[in-house]
Amino acid sequence: MIAKSLIEKIMNAALETGGDFAEVFVEDKMNTSIGLVGGKVERSISGKDFGIGIRILQGNNSVYGYTNDHSEEALLKITHQVAQALNGEGNSTILPLRGETFHSVHPIRYAPLDVAKTKKVERMREVYHVAKEYHSSISQVSVGYRDEDQRVLIANSEGTFIEDRRIRTRLSAQAVASNNSEMQTGSYSPGAHKGFELMDELDLSFYGREAARIATTMLHARECPSGQFPVIIDNEFGGVIFHEACGHGLEATSVAKGNSVFSDKLGERVAPDIVTYIDDGTLSNEWGSQNIDDEGERTRKNVLIENGILKGYLIDKLGGRRMGMDPTGSSRRESYKYAPTSRMTNTFIAPGTSSREEIIANTEFGIYAKYMGGGSVNPATADYNFAVNEGYIIRNGKIAEPVRGATLIGNGAKTLQKVDMVGNNLAHGQGMCGSVSGSIPANVGQPTIRVSEITVGGRGQS
Amino acid sequence: MELTQFKELLFQAGEKAGFEEMELYYANGEKFSTKVYNGEVDSYTLATDAGLSFRGLINGQMGYAYTEKIDHSSVQLLVDGAKENAFILDTEDHEDLYSGADSYPALDLFADELENVSPSTKIDFLKEVEKACFARSNKVSSVNYCMLQSFSSDKRIANSKGLDVMDRGNGIFVFVSVVVKDNEDIKSAQKLAISRDFSAFEAEKIANVAVDEALSYLGAESVKSGYYPVIFKNKAAAALLQTFVGSFSADNVHKGKSRLANKVGEKIAGKNITIIDNPHDTKGFSSRSFDSEGVPTKPLHVLEEGVLKTYLHNRKTAKKDGVSSTGHASKASYKGTIGISPSNLYIKAGEESFDHIVSNSKEAIVITSLQGLHSGANPISGDFSLAAHGYLVKNGKILRPVNQITVAGNFFSLLNDVESVGNDLETELPSGGAIGSPSLKVSKLSVGGK
Repeated sequence: MIAKSLIEKIMNAALETGGDFAEVFVEDKMNTSIGLVGGKVERSISGKDFGIGIRILQGNNSVYGYTNDHSEEALLKITHQVAQALNGEGNSTILPLRGETFHSVHPIRYAPLDVAKTKKVERMREVYHVAKEYHSSISQVSVGYRDEDQRVLIANSEGTFIEDRRIRTRLSAQAVASNNSEMQTGSYSPGAHKGFELMDELDLSFYGREAARIATTMLHARECPSGQFPVIIDNEFGGVIFHEACGHGLEATSVAKGNSVFSDKLGERVAPDIVTYIDDGTLSNEWGSQNIDDEGERTRKNVLIENGILKGYLIDKLGGRRMGMDPTGSSRRESYKYAPTSRMTNTFIAPGTSSREEIIANTEFGIYAKYMGGGSVNPATADYNFAVNEGYIIRNGKIAEPVRGATLIGNGAKTLQKVDMVGNNLAHGQGMCGSVSGSIPANVGQPTIRVSEITVGGRGQS
Repeated sequence: MELTQFKELLFQAGEKAGFEEMELYYANGEKFSTKVYNGEVDSYTLATDAGLSFRGLINGQMGYAYTEKIDHSSVQLLVDGAKENAFILDTEDHEDLYSGADSYPALDLFADELENVSPSTKIDFLKEVEKACFARSNKVSSVNYCMLQSFSSDKRIANSKGLDVMDRGNGIFVFVSVVVKDNEDIKSAQKLAISRDFSAFEAEKIANVAVDEALSYLGAESVKSGYYPVIFKNKAAAALLQTFVGSFSADNVHKGKSRLANKVGEKIAGKNITIIDNPHDTKGFSSRSFDSEGVPTKPLHVLEEGVLKTYLHNRKTAKKDGVSSTGHASKASYKGTIGISPSNLYIKAGEESFDHIVSNSKEAIVITSLQGLHSGANPISGDFSLAAHGYLVKNGKILRPVNQITVAGNFFSLLNDVESVGNDLETELPSGGAIGSPSLKVSKLSVGGK
C-alpha cells in the first residue's frame, strides 16, 4: 500500500527527536451501507476510507499524527510536526523490516465487493417481509445492511511489517409496532467477520420475526415497576452489562492509571467462583475477531477472571510499558484516525452448569431481561445503566407478564459479586464498542445468568 | 490534486456514465488534540484530513459515493459506486440538486488569532487546569480526563447546476473530568468549555466548576421510589431535548417515526415552551450559512408558546409537504447521505433563576445528569427511563446529593407539564448539533430508587 522504502524514511524521521519506537499504520477500507425503509431502498452509499497514522513512543509517552495524503512530502511533513512534540536526541535506530505472513483463521468465501448490490437488497427484502407480515400492529420496518473490507499494513521500528485483511458483514432489522397512542420498537443486528456467506448462513426470517415480535410484545406490555429485584439476564447480548461494567475496567487504559477498581488486584478474588470471564480474539469468524491486532500482534485468548480470581488484563504496547507487563494482542482502533489502545475483542462469561429453566424456576419474584439494549458506565466509579429491550416479571418461578421501560442501574464491581447462578447456554451477540480509540466491532457474550439484586428503574407499580 | 481539476475530471467521467446532474462535496480540516495526565503529556495528536463525496442523478435516482483518497484512481470508483447505488434505490421521494441562492448570510465563524496559539501554549494551559483541580481540594484523587482540542475546517459544495459555496470555521475546546474520593466514596464530574477565543478560557474557573460539582456529590444516596417533582438542571434538560429532537424532523414524520405527525399548528406543549433553531448564532458551534444541500439558513421558531409551527425540512421533505426547505439538510460528513438535523436549537429561557426554582420547592429532586440516553430512551415514543444523579430538595433548600436513581416519564407529556422555566439557558454540544435548554421544573415524575 506504501513502499517499504518510504516507510523506513518516515520511521527514521520519526525517531530524530528522541523517540524510541516508531509505527506506521496504513489503512485502505471499502464500505457499503444500504437502508431499506418501508419496503423501499432509500439509502445506499459506498466509499473508501484511506489514510496513514504515524505513532512515536518515547518511554511512557506517545505522540500521534495522521493524514490521508499519501505523498512522500505530506507524510514526512506530518511526521516532522509530530516528532517536534518530543525533546531529545535521535539515537534510536530502526531494525530491518521483516515481511511476516500468517495463515488466516477467518476464511472468507464471498468478498462483499464481488457481490452485486442487488443481491444484498434481495436478502434485505426477505427480512422486511417477514417482519412486516408478522402482525397487523407492525407499522414500520427498517432493514440495514453494511459490509466492509479493510486492508491494513502495520510496520514498526522493531522490524514488524505485516498486512491483514478484515471483512465484516452485518444486518440490522428494526420493527415499529403501534396502536392509536403508543409506539414500541424491536431490533436485532447479527454480524460476523465474514463475507456475503453470512447472509446464506443466517436464518434471516428469524431476525425479522424476532424484531417484530419484540415490538409487538412491548406494545402490549405494562410499565416495569421500580425497586431492587433479582434479575435474570438472558444469554448472548445480555453480556453487554459485563462488557461495560467489568470489561472496560480490565483494559490497560484504565488499569495503568490506577483508575480501575481492578487495578493492583491480580490474584485476588473479584467475583464468586462461578464466574470466569474471557476475551478471545481468535474465535473463528466472530464479529470481534481478527488475526492480528492493530499493532501487528497476534490476537489470543486472554483469561481475565478465572473462577472468581482476577488473572489478567487487556494490554497494548503503551499500556504494557506503563504497567511493566507484556501486550496481550488487544490493541485496536477504529481507523487510522486513532492511536491504538487496549480494547476488547469477543468477551464473554464462560458457561456454568444451570439450565435457563432451572434459573427461572429458582426465582420467586424478579425481572427476566430477555433482550438487553445498550447502556453506559462511568469508568471512574463503575456505575452503569442499561436498558432492557424485552423484559418480563418472574412470579413463583414462572415467566409472567411482559414489562417495558426497564432500566438496570448499579455498580459493576458490586454486581459482579452478586452473580449467583450461571447457565450452560453460552452465546455471543454483536455490538459496536466506543472508547478512546473509536468505535470498533466487539462481541459480548454470556450464558443466562442471575444477579441476586439489581436496582430496576421503571414507572409502573409493582 | 487540485480540487477544481479533480471536479472537472469527475464530472466528465460522470457525464459519460450517464449522470444528468452531479455534485461534489468536499471537506478538509486540521486538528490538534492533546491530553495531560499527572503533569505529563498523555496523548498528542496532529491531523490533516480531507474527504470528498460525489452524488449524481441518474435513472431518476440520486446515487452517492465517497473517498478519502483524492487522486485519479478514485474518479472511476466514485462514478461507478454512485451509479450502482442509484440503480438499487426505489424510493418514490426523489432528490434533485439545488442551483443556489442569490445571497447567503455572511457569518464570521473563523477566528484568525486562534490559529496563532501554539501547541505548547495549549499544553501549558491544560497543565494549569489539572494543577488547579488538585489545588481546589485535597479530596481530588485524579483528573482522569484533561483534554484540549482545536480544529479548523473548510467545506465546499459545487454542482453542475451552478451552485458553488464555501464555508470555513474553527474552534477550541477544553474538557476536564475529575474524580474525588472520601474514604470509599468515589464521585466524578466534568466540565466542557468551548470557544473561538483562547484568551477567554480561565484555567482556575474551569477546574473549580468541575471539582466543586464532584465534591457536591460525595455522600450521595438513593431516595425512596415514588413520584416527585423534578427539576432538570439546564444541562440535563438539554440532554433530554437532544434525545427527542429527531421528532421535529420532517423525514421522521414521513417515515412514521415521529409522534408529531399531523400536529403542525397544534398545541403540543405548555405555553411557557418556545423552541428556536438559530444557525446564525456566531457563538454557536453548529452555525452555518448554508446547509448540506447549499440552501441558505435562517433562524426559525419551531415551537412558539407551545404551538408546533413547523418541522425541520430539507428540499426533499419540503417538496413532499408543499413547503420551502427550512435549510436543515445535513450530512454527518462526506460519508453520509442527505438527512435532517437542527443547528443551534434551544428552549427559550424564562424568567426564574435556578436558585429561585429550588427555593420555591417544598420537596423535589434536582437532576444534574442523565445517563444512558442512547439506550434508556425511545426517541420515537418519547418514553424514557434513565439513570440519573443530582440533589434532594426539602423546604426550598438542597438537602443532600442523590445517586443510584432512575427517572422515568414521557418527553411529550413532560412538555405539557413544565411548572417553571429557568433563565439559565446553557448549550450542550452533542454530535450533530448544539442543543440548549434552561433548567425546567416538572410537576411530577416517577423516580426509582430504594
